[in-house]
Amino acid sequence: MNSTTVPENRVEPIGYAALLVMLLVAMIAALLASIATGYAPLDIGAAARDVLHGNDTLSALVLVQLRLPRAVLGALVGFSLGITGAAMQGLLRNPLAEPGITGVTSAASLGAVVVFYFGLAGILPLALPLGGIAGAGLSTLLLYGVAGSGASTMTLILAGVAINSFFGALTTLALNLSPNPYAVSEIIFWLLGSLSDRSLQYVWLVAPMMLAGWLLLLMTGPALDGLSLGEDTATSLGFNLARVRLLLIAGTALAVGSAVAATGSIAFIGLVVPHLLRPLVGHRPSRLLLVSGLGGATLTLLADIIVRLLPVRPELKLGVVTALIGAPFLFHLIWRLRREDR
Amino acid sequence: MKLEARNIAVSFGQTAVLRSVDLAVASGEMVGLIGPNGSGKTTLLRVLANLRAPDGGGVTLDGRDLEAVGERELSKKIAYLAQGGDVHWPMRVGALVGLGRLPHRRAFRDQADSDTAAIERAMYAADVVSLRDRTMTHLSGGERMRVLLARALAVEASLLLADEPVAALDPLHQLRVMELLRDVARGGTGVIVVLHDLSLAARFCDRLVLIADGDIIAEGRPADVLTPASLARAYGVDIVCGVSEGLPFYLPQSVRPPIQGTP
Amino acid sequence: MSQRLRLRRPFDTAFDAALLVAIAIMLVPAALSAAGTPKRIVSLNLCTDELVLRLADRSNIASITWLSKDAISANVVDLAADLPVNHGLAEEIIPLDPDLIVAGTFTARTAVAMLKATRFPVTEFGVAHDIADVRLGIRKMAALVGEPARGEALVASFDRRLAEIGTPAPGRRPTALVFNANGFTVGAGTLVDDIVTRAGLDNIAAHMKLGNYSQLPLEIAVRSEVDVLIISARRDGPPSLATALLDHPVLSKLGPKTHIVVLPTNLWSCGGPEVAEAIARLRAAAQDVVNSGASP
Repeated sequence: MNSTTVPENRVEPIGYAALLVMLLVAMIAALLASIATGYAPLDIGAAARDVLHGNDTLSALVLVQLRLPRAVLGALVGFSLGITGAAMQGLLRNPLAEPGITGVTSAASLGAVVVFYFGLAGILPLALPLGGIAGAGLSTLLLYGVAGSGASTMTLILAGVAINSFFGALTTLALNLSPNPYAVSEIIFWLLGSLSDRSLQYVWLVAPMMLAGWLLLLMTGPALDGLSLGEDTATSLGFNLARVRLLLIAGTALAVGSAVAATGSIAFIGLVVPHLLRPLVGHRPSRLLLVSGLGGATLTLLADIIVRLLPVRPELKLGVVTALIGAPFLFHLIWRLRREDR
Repeated sequence: MKLEARNIAVSFGQTAVLRSVDLAVASGEMVGLIGPNGSGKTTLLRVLANLRAPDGGGVTLDGRDLEAVGERELSKKIAYLAQGGDVHWPMRVGALVGLGRLPHRRAFRDQADSDTAAIERAMYAADVVSLRDRTMTHLSGGERMRVLLARALAVEASLLLADEPVAALDPLHQLRVMELLRDVARGGTGVIVVLHDLSLAARFCDRLVLIADGDIIAEGRPADVLTPASLARAYGVDIVCGVSEGLPFYLPQSVRPPIQGTP
Repeated sequence: MSQRLRLRRPFDTAFDAALLVAIAIMLVPAALSAAGTPKRIVSLNLCTDELVLRLADRSNIASITWLSKDAISANVVDLAADLPVNHGLAEEIIPLDPDLIVAGTFTARTAVAMLKATRFPVTEFGVAHDIADVRLGIRKMAALVGEPARGEALVASFDRRLAEIGTPAPGRRPTALVFNANGFTVGAGTLVDDIVTRAGLDNIAAHMKLGNYSQLPLEIAVRSEVDVLIISARRDGPPSLATALLDHPVLSKLGPKTHIVVLPTNLWSCGGPEVAEAIARLRAAAQDVVNSGASP
């Protein structure tokens, strides 16, 4: 990206462009691996040929209706969680700010649950992601109002605990009040998330919203860079912080809200991925956005592959695998922060 | 290029922090803003930088209201160096100085050659070229301040507003940073710097503005402003003034007894 | 804090004592009632509700579960009208002073345990494993409620219905798979398996060594290429993820070779006489497969 005639001011092991290409390749590889993973062997090549020629075979049906939506949705959801985690961490200047810890995913679950279980999604399918978006937007506003940007870690965590508890409780209440007897035990899906048997319709429903959310978040990139020097300096560099906050709230709501409406809340992707990739972009918040998106997509797809390879029936919820990765990571973070404090 | 503030009044809630302050700075001059803690210096600087709208009065840049100039254009004309020097992410020095080019950013285009050149010039001026690949968290206080100053210089603005840039530095780095600021002023940039150290203010600034209790007590050349009477009135402290090898110095001597009837 | 604790203890003891005395008083008439046709029958389970409603005199029924009034789950909604309902809680049952309590082996466990401990007569009905168990269940309930003749009549009408349906024709049977909410299917040794077999279908899950009930991923259900896919739930009820699975677009795209039969769960969830209706519908589906020449 920089001119090569003047000495470079980057010393990351990989250049930004090279990193993006690598992550894109990794994501595509994970996507193909996810399509190839299932509960019965599938000849992908034959199935793909059938699809292209319009042959109505069972292989083509399984590929298009079962394997493909699962993989594509996994990538979309993972991207949304990764990019939103990076954006929230950039705006709140805190490595712990991510949709799961701050309660945004819990609130999105509530919105989706209310819409789904009380029949609104049956009347208007678009209502499902809209419900998730409304929940996510509300909680991000709440978070911002309570914690504010530049708030201490303790304030942020407490706000997240409060928001998580509140919306989690309301979600359970809504499920209990649902007329369908299966609803009560489905809290597990909303808490831990799953890509299982999501149909192509979900992809069409959420992809446009997510895309809009990603664009809004990417627009905050330069401002996030400026914010690394504090709010006053960022303002002096020409950024309207009120507008930036609005972009973030709207972008988070669109991306995370629709993701959770489709798959429930998948934890830790927004925390782990930006953290791992931040050193590779020289800690620049603007570059971390796209990179975290691709990383999030890849990690989610890998976790979903693991879920299907494990000999557990019924299938394990995706959040179990991401929590098994994410929770030790969080412990490691805490340990490192303690060491720095000494 | 001239920045003018007229009748600036600012209140935080019921407390008046600035009552009616006039201030002007032109290209090429270095103005020092001095006064006791809580006198309103930082607030005034933030008003001048358009970071806070005044409750009364206004600021003009070359005759135009700051609001009319717009935040984008203003960001290219005024560079602000905040107090404290917080850096939230452990970026490399080169990248951090590069943030100073953000006002000149264009959509979908990363750094242009002109940006790279400006960054190099700024790093050279602030003498941080050798620190290019170091991480901010591993630098000393003096080095960190010079890097932040380089960031502000990279904006290549007509005005530089610096809030207590030398507060936490050792004497060597205090002198180096002040010399750098003077060079910047000589180069044509208008500089306003908030200072606590009266000796540095006297030595490096063309003009001083002494503020206490939200009002300007004295303004003008350092020798005219830094009189024992003005200083006693502003700081409530007896100051000893002297000259050594042609350079003035000011030392706080003793606390003045409070005037009868005042707290 | 300790002040409050001390205040609680005397109150607790008094309350416990009062409860024990109340129960003891209520036990007296229970002990004194003679054996014979029960006059205050309480049912704690939807399936026992149905049998009680079909076999006992209405005047002898003290309470049935609230589920019997729900048109979605119950077969006998009209029989249940105007009768008092319970929610499977012991404190609802005890004041009724029942002389017969019937319950399932899986529901209302805590209430049943408490009722047994207080020496109320409780009879538990297990899950039916095959058609023979259906007849046994009817006869057992008929004896309990003192109406053996009605029991025999019900069994006879059940057997007549089965005879009407007839036995499946010889030859290869069309394959079938049961797909319940959440993707659960039924294996060998279950009532549903027996029903499917009697309808003339071959339940492929019985060959899969799955155990009685286990979960089948949708992909495997689709790949099984069975002739008849039996969706066992209501698809038009209030939504849940479990039932939404049965509406997955892939099932509707399976093509003409797969016949989809939607059977409401209340036909066979109870192992009562309604299973005959389930067998009839499945037999019709099997016949369709044979007629369309699609069977192997």
